[in-house]
Amino acid sequence: MIRIGNASGFYGDRLSAVREMLEGGDLDVLTGDYLAELTMLILGRDRMRDANLGYARTFLRQMEDCLGLAVERGVTVVANAGGLNPLGLAAAIDELGVGAKIGVVTGDDLRADFPESLTANAYLGAWGIAECVRAGADVVVTGRVTDASLVVGPAAAHFGWARDDWDALAGATVAGHVLECGTQATGGNYSFFTSIDVDRPGFPIAEVHADGSSVITKHDGTGGAVTVDTVTAQLLYEIGDPAYPGPDVVSHFDTIALEPHARGVRISGVRGSPPPDTLKVCLNSIGGFRNGTTFVLSGLDVEAKADLVRRQLEGALGPDGLTWTLARTDREDADTEETASALLHVTIKTPDPKRAKAFSRTAVELALGSYPGFHVTAPPSDGTPFGVYRAAFVPRDRVEHRAVLPDGKVVTA
Amino acid sequence: MRAPLGTIAGARSGDKGGDANLGVWVRTDEAYAWLARELTAARLKELLPEAGEVVRYELPNLRALNFVLLGLLGDGVASSTRFDPQAKGLGEWLRSRHVDIPEELL
Repeated sequence: MIRIGNASGFYGDRLSAVREMLEGGDLDVLTGDYLAELTMLILGRDRMRDANLGYARTFLRQMEDCLGLAVERGVTVVANAGGLNPLGLAAAIDELGVGAKIGVVTGDDLRADFPESLTANAYLGAWGIAECVRAGADVVVTGRVTDASLVVGPAAAHFGWARDDWDALAGATVAGHVLECGTQATGGNYSFFTSIDVDRPGFPIAEVHADGSSVITKHDGTGGAVTVDTVTAQLLYEIGDPAYPGPDVVSHFDTIALEPHARGVRISGVRGSPPPDTLKVCLNSIGGFRNGTTFVLSGLDVEAKADLVRRQLEGALGPDGLTWTLARTDREDADTEETASALLHVTIKTPDPKRAKAFSRTAVELALGSYPGFHVTAPPSDGTPFGVYRAAFVPRDRVEHRAVLPDGKVVTA
Repeated sequence: MRAPLGTIAGARSGDKGGDANLGVWVRTDEAYAWLARELTAARLKELLPEAGEVVRYELPNLRALNFVLLGLLGDGVASSTRFDPQAKGLGEWLRSRHVDIPEELL
């Protein structure tokens, strides 16, 4: 059995979780997911400003605080915090001076194939991580690997799974899917939250077995809960077809069996089948500029007030790219001003940054010449660029999935 | 009996590019048999009129249905002008909708 924990479900998750997981009990591996579709865009904009950035900086702070502790406890850290620049993150970790053995997974960056995109990253699988773990890395940082690979890689290395051990790979993928969003598996963001104590949920752990089955649990004494319901909720997060495709295996979510276990929930029975011969690519590009504001419409004549301000703003700015929604949060004859008020949201999306900026001035200029009671919840900004996400698929042989081992040797995964 | 769906069903929702996914689960086999009959893709669209094309998948092993709401989020979270661009609250909205639930399931 290998005991794999998680300390991050997104870039911005609880900073102290790495320390909590290392100090809270036994672990073999500690994983962290830092990448979402949106995060790749944020990192892409970081990299535009400074080519040395493009990784999750909070992870570097966590390693500054905790990598020595992890090495001392014999816990291997595996994270996709490398984002768009895993080699840059590895260099920054090396500079911390802990003397840890660092493995890096690269090859996901496909900007050369998609030059029109700000970011273009293939979703790599688990085998690069497995190579690094087998080579004795204390910490493995990757770019865009699938979230579940953070769990599958160390398990595959530990048990010596073959590439066609479909059921074991699928079982570990399901465990990885449960862990990838951190406390969403332990009672966070949970419909029946009133039935458990979720004030400060602990982060999840998967005890993965040689056949890919697992027990989902958490450190003793932490908050939240691991029940069939909390695990079911997370299994349903961000999935489509029950035949869930990944780079290493298709995991059949309609074969998952869950049962209560003394320490949490046991997952078994998962069937796997060979993966598709293409890899998914996450593409982000800058779509233009956006800006917005929210007009507060209090009291009587809400619809007419909304019509007036809309006529005025569209008259001054032109209607192109404006989206309006009127939320009738107001109540009749209300005894507080807030509950007497409706909210009129307007957003502009435009290729022209000057027009996004002019939106602010135009909206503010209405202040004394529009509907009675005119005010906004917050003044509009100068406008910001926005990203457009698109998925693409490329043949596997277009992607060179590589592991840079702690001794500097590069192997193809 | 007329009651919020969330009286007996849990839900979790999120984004996948421009699509939203919405998983709904219940806790007994009897409740799942009812849910699978009641909550068709067409019925989901009645309960969530903002939905466009909806694809439904069945996961009887988890007593769950998974719905994919195609195109709900436009070009993805960073671009969407939709209220709740990551579809985080979609599941809780569904749970708050009133439906006729057999009394023995309540």
